[in-house]
Amino acid sequence: MTLLEFADVHQSYGEEEVLDGISFGVDRGAVEVIIGPSGSGKSTLLRCVNRLTDIDSGDIRLDGTSIYARDENELRQQVGMVFQDFNLFAHLTALENVTLGLRRVRGFSKEEAVADAHDHLERVGLLEQAESYPAELSGGQKQRVGIARALAMDPEIMLFDEPTSALDPELVGEVVSVMRDLAEEGMTMLVVTHEMGFARSTASRLTFLDDGRLVEQGPPEQLFERPEHERTGTFLRRLTELHGGIDR
Amino acid sequence: MLLQSGAWEYIAANWVYLGWGLVFTVCLTAVSVVLGFLLGLPAGIIETYGSGYSRGLVERAGVLVRGTPIVIILVAFYFLFPLTIAAFWAAALGLGIRSAAYQSQIFRGALQSVGDGQMEAARSVGMSKLDAIRRVTVPQALRRSIPGFQNEFTIVLKDTSVAYAIGLGELLTRGTNLYLTEQGNTAVLEIFLAISAVYFVLTMTTNLSLDALGRRFAIPGGEGR
Amino acid sequence: MSAASTVQGRVVKVTGSGLFRWLAFGVFWGYLVVRWLYQWVGADLLGMDPRAPLLPVETFRTLATTWDGTRIGGLFSFLRVAGDALPAAVTGTWLTIILTVVAMAAGLVIAVPLAVARVYGGPVTRWAALGYTELIRGTPLLAQLFVLYYGLSLSATLRELPFVGEGFIPAQAALVAMIGFTINSSAYQAEYIRSALRSVEVGQLTAGRAVGLSKLQTIRRIVLPQGLRYGIPGWSNELVYLIKYSSLAAFITVPELYKRTRDIASGNFRYFELLVVAGVIYLGLVLSASALMGRVEQRVAIPGLGE
Repeated sequence: MTLLEFADVHQSYGEEEVLDGISFGVDRGAVEVIIGPSGSGKSTLLRCVNRLTDIDSGDIRLDGTSIYARDENELRQQVGMVFQDFNLFAHLTALENVTLGLRRVRGFSKEEAVADAHDHLERVGLLEQAESYPAELSGGQKQRVGIARALAMDPEIMLFDEPTSALDPELVGEVVSVMRDLAEEGMTMLVVTHEMGFARSTASRLTFLDDGRLVEQGPPEQLFERPEHERTGTFLRRLTELHGGIDR
Repeated sequence: MLLQSGAWEYIAANWVYLGWGLVFTVCLTAVSVVLGFLLGLPAGIIETYGSGYSRGLVERAGVLVRGTPIVIILVAFYFLFPLTIAAFWAAALGLGIRSAAYQSQIFRGALQSVGDGQMEAARSVGMSKLDAIRRVTVPQALRRSIPGFQNEFTIVLKDTSVAYAIGLGELLTRGTNLYLTEQGNTAVLEIFLAISAVYFVLTMTTNLSLDALGRRFAIPGGEGR
Repeated sequence: MSAASTVQGRVVKVTGSGLFRWLAFGVFWGYLVVRWLYQWVGADLLGMDPRAPLLPVETFRTLATTWDGTRIGGLFSFLRVAGDALPAAVTGTWLTIILTVVAMAAGLVIAVPLAVARVYGGPVTRWAALGYTELIRGTPLLAQLFVLYYGLSLSATLRELPFVGEGFIPAQAALVAMIGFTINSSAYQAEYIRSALRSVEVGQLTAGRAVGLSKLQTIRRIVLPQGLRYGIPGWSNELVYLIKYSSLAAFITVPELYKRTRDIASGNFRYFELLVVAGVIYLGLVLSASALMGRVEQRVAIPGLGE
C-alpha cells in the first residue's frame, strides 16, 4: 500500500534544475534507500517531502493527499526528519529536545511529555544521557537523540538525510543499529546514505538518482550485482571502494 | 594645571549634589537600555525573519536612527514632542530609541549566527514559525548577544552625558554646574577627573556584572550544534 | 505548484535601485560642493554676499504666505526656513568633515602602534597600552572634551600659538576638539585593529617565522595585510561614529554643523526645521561614508577570506 508518492516532481534552484521529473511510490513499511552522486538531488528530494523546500511542479502525496493540501505544521508531524548535522537544540538537554515537540506541538502536559520522552530515549539507548546537553554528547549520541526527537512526533514516515555522513567511523554503528531496529519494527523510512552495509542488509529497495533523474530502482542485490544501467554499476563500485560493503 | 587639595575638598563637600547626578545617570541608563531591549528584540526578529513591508520599514527606520547624532535625537524629543515632557523622559526616549536601533542589529546578528539548521529542525517537528523563533532561536541568540549587549550598555551609559544638551541633571551636567560657581572655578580639572573616574568605575562594574550574568546562563559544554 | 521560497535561501534587497542612490548622493554632494565653492571663491568673483542662500528662499516665502494655513503653505514655510539656514549649516558641515577626517587619520597613526603593542608587546608596553585604551573607552567623549577645553584650558594655550585661527588653520576651539577626537578615536581604533590582528590565524605568524622572516617583517608583510582587511568593518563603524559625535564639539563652542543649526534655532525657535536640516545632512554624510567603506571592502577583499 503506497504511503508516499512522488508524481513528476520538478524543482529548481534558480536557473539550475535540481529535480527533473521524479516519479515513484513508497510502500508502507518499506525502507527506501536513495543513493547517487552529490548534486544529484537526493537531499532536495527528501526536503521536499516535509516542505522545507518547495517543488516547482508535480505533486507529492502522503497517504493519498497532496502535501500542499494540508497544513504545513500538521504535515511535519506526520513526517519525521533526521539531519546530517543533527541540528539538536543546543540550549536544551537531550530530554528537553524531545519534550519540546511533545509539549508545544502535540500538546502533552509536562509529565506526559517527560514520560514519553524517556521512553523514546530508552528506545535509542540514551536514557542515561537525558540530562546532558548536546555539546556534551558524542556525534553518534547526538544523532540518536535526533532520531528520538523525530520519533516522538509519532510520524507515519521517517526521512534520514545522510544520517551518518558527519560521524566518525566508530560512531556510525550505533546509529545504523537504531535505524535497523526501526526498520524491523515496520517504520516506513526514506534514507539518503552512503552506508552500503545498511543498504545491502536493510533496504527493501534501492533508488539511484543522478542529475535530478531517477536512473534505476530495484532490490539491493539487483543494483549491486546486476544493474541495468552502467552508471549505476560504476557509482556503486566506487562507493563500495570508499565505504566498504561490509556489514556493520 | 596643579591638582589642588582645596579642589578635592570642594568636590567632597558637594557629594550629595553629585551623588544625585550619579543616580540620574544610572537610572537613565537602565531605563534606556530596557526600552532599547523591548523595541530592539522584536525589531531584530522582524529583520531576520520578517518579509516585505514590515521588514523594509524596520530596516529603514533603523538606518535613519543609526545615522542621526544622539544629540539631535535628544533635542528632538525634548523640543518637538507634542506634550511637554520632563528632560529625563525625553532623554530616556531618545536614548531608548537609539539603543533599540543598535540592539536590533545585535540580535539580528545573533539570530543569524544561530544557523538555519536549528530553525529547520524546529519546523520539521511541526512547530510554527513563531514558536520556533520563540523557543529555539531566540533563547540561543540571547546568549550569543551578551558581548554585544555589554558593549551597548556602556555606550548608553556614556551617551547619558549628552543629556547635558537638554539640561538634565545627570552626572556630567552637575559636574559642569559645580565649576561654574566661584569656588568651583579653580577646581575644573579635578571635577572632570572625578566624574570621569566615576564613569570609568560604572563601566567596569557593568562589564563585570554582565560577564557574570553570561557565565550563569551559559549553555553547559558551550555552543554545540 | 508555485516556486515558493525555501526555509533557507531568501534573498532580500535592502537598498533602493542603483540609479536612485547615485542621484541622491549626486544631489547631496553636488549641492555641498557648489555651496562651498560659492562661499570661498564664487561670491567674491561674482561680487555677491557669500552668506546669501542659493536656493530661491524669497520665492518660498512668498508662496508660503500665499498659501498660508494650508499644508502646501506649511511645506513652503518649511523650505524657506531650511533654505535660510542652509548657508550656515553647510559652512558648519565643512568643519564637521575636517574634524572627522583629522580624528580618523591622526587616530589611526596612534592606534596602529598601540594595537601592535597590545598584541605583540612585552608586559610593560602591553599594560600601558591597555591602561590608555581602557581609560579612554571607559569615559564619555563629552567629558574628555570638557577636560581638555575647560579643565586644562587647552584653548587658551593654543591661542598663543602662531597661525591659529588664520587662513586655513581652524580656531583654537576646533583644534582642541581635534585633539580630543583624535585621542578618543585612537583608543577605539586600537581596539578594532587589535581584534582584527587576533583574527589572523596563529599559523600565519608561525609560517612567516618558519620561512625565515623576522618577527617585525612577519607582522608587517603577512599579519598586517590580512589583519587590516579584517579591520574594515571596525573602521566603517568608527568613521560613522566620528561623523555623528563630531556634533559634541558644539559644546566647546566649535561652529560645526550642529552648533550652527542649534544657534539658528535658538534665534527663530524653528527647532523642527533646523533639526531636520541637520539630520538630513548628517544622514547624507553617514550613508556616504558607509557606501564608501563598502566599496573599499569590496576592492581590497581577498577571495574567500573573512566570513
